[in-house]
Amino acid sequence: MKPTTRIALLGLSVPAAILILWQIAALLQPTPLFPGPGKVVLAIWKNYPVILHELGITLLRAGAGFAVASLTMIPLGIFLGRFRSLGKVLEPLMDMLATLPPPAIIPLVMLFAGTGDWAKVVIIAYAAAVPLLMNTYEASHSIHPMLSRVARSLHLSRLETMRLIDLPSSLPMIATGARLAIASSLLVSVTSEMLLSTNGIGTYLQRSQETFKIDAGLAGIAFISLAGVLVNAGVFRLEKKWLFWHYRDQRPTE
Amino acid sequence: MPAILTADGVGKSYGSGSARMPIIDGLTLSIAKGEFVSLVGPSGCGKTTLLMCLSGLLAPSDGAVSFKGQVVDQPPIGLSVVFQDYSRSLLPWKTNLDNVLFGMRRVQGMDARAKRARAEEILAAVGLTGFGGHYPWQVSGGMQQRVAIARGIASQSELLLLDEPLAAVDAQTRADMQDLLLDVAQRFKQTCVLVTHDVEEAVYMANRVLVLGPRPTRVVREVVVDLPMPRDQLTTREAPGFLHARHEVLALIRGMRQGQKLS
Repeated sequence: MKPTTRIALLGLSVPAAILILWQIAALLQPTPLFPGPGKVVLAIWKNYPVILHELGITLLRAGAGFAVASLTMIPLGIFLGRFRSLGKVLEPLMDMLATLPPPAIIPLVMLFAGTGDWAKVVIIAYAAAVPLLMNTYEASHSIHPMLSRVARSLHLSRLETMRLIDLPSSLPMIATGARLAIASSLLVSVTSEMLLSTNGIGTYLQRSQETFKIDAGLAGIAFISLAGVLVNAGVFRLEKKWLFWHYRDQRPTE
Repeated sequence: MPAILTADGVGKSYGSGSARMPIIDGLTLSIAKGEFVSLVGPSGCGKTTLLMCLSGLLAPSDGAVSFKGQVVDQPPIGLSVVFQDYSRSLLPWKTNLDNVLFGMRRVQGMDARAKRARAEEILAAVGLTGFGGHYPWQVSGGMQQRVAIARGIASQSELLLLDEPLAAVDAQTRADMQDLLLDVAQRFKQTCVLVTHDVEEAVYMANRVLVLGPRPTRVVREVVVDLPMPRDQLTTREAPGFLHARHEVLALIRGMRQGQKLS
């Protein structure tokens, strides 16, 4: 057996061992408050249409918030990187917002924007905006001066320079920001539903807990992890496709 | 021959007050259409700053630069710059052909197909047939610099400003690139201004060598290289005219260096 295969098998054996121990413990303690993996699988089978529906709502909100943030913050970051003095003026503000945990603004936004879908999209967009803006700005203002000279000597306008030089050269760092922003969007999407909502996977988890359906709650969590893994895999593939010139022959690091 | 590029009393300094550092002071030169002129000077004399001023990338503090009779305040159309740092000056997300096409964005009166044909023709002239589909990072340094030269020529250029374009390539490639540059300059009717610290290269390539003084720099001597084109790596470098010009330039620069050490 090759060492890499052995390590891979060992890596899988850890979660497998946890599952077995969990199952044994659950069999020793027969109470609905401590369901074993078997019961969770059963709950998945019973509840998956509901879970998928609720998860779909959550992902849709997270996606909308992320999209709003990307469409506004990436151009803004590029712009602030090119117009350096404006960027410098706004740097302290960005630093302050960067350290504020996004869920902290949930109650405030709900007070003004209500509890509907759009209020949640606003909160998610804010959460995604911070890493996107920071990374785009950082990348765009640290672009090598040589590229600006090239742009000017090729008679590009400022807008063209931003679109054709700054944006592509910033993409590797924007991708890092996007990964953080995606994680943040999902987190805030679920959190905001737990605080105040009538649908979505966050509400589903909350209700399962309140009605002591622990197995159904665990089933919901399993689906969230699965969604996370799938989204990450998708981002990874897009990065490989669009940033091949940055990674060249090495693989992008996860 | 009419002048294509002139600098009239150009001065450039950085900083102000007591921290003011003059780099160029009262520099005047005139480049005629079709010439190949080399600018050489002692290390750190401000050659690159001068080239940036000549290209319109940097505004001079005093005097003015004119290209085809127009005062230069932005890089004008018809003037292109080839930088020393080829790996940073090419766009890594574009293929070599697309990098050359990128230089043609402002070219008018040509449809996409004609531009492509032109770009391919220029790539072939710099010896890169079959490498248009490669990315810059897939080819050698010398090839990358040839892509940058092709991009410069493709942008409807009449004047190429070359900022130590061969400083980062190895010695053997360098000799080949010198001949290639002379060849494409003639074929595409480019007037060339070459900034270099290599005196041999300056004399080998040029019709005229302008020797720059120590900082704050200006042109201190003009050395005419009276040798026929095309040049040849063996015979040109052994010709009495080459040796005389080389001697004159080297002696001047050595004198400046010793003067600097004493002061």
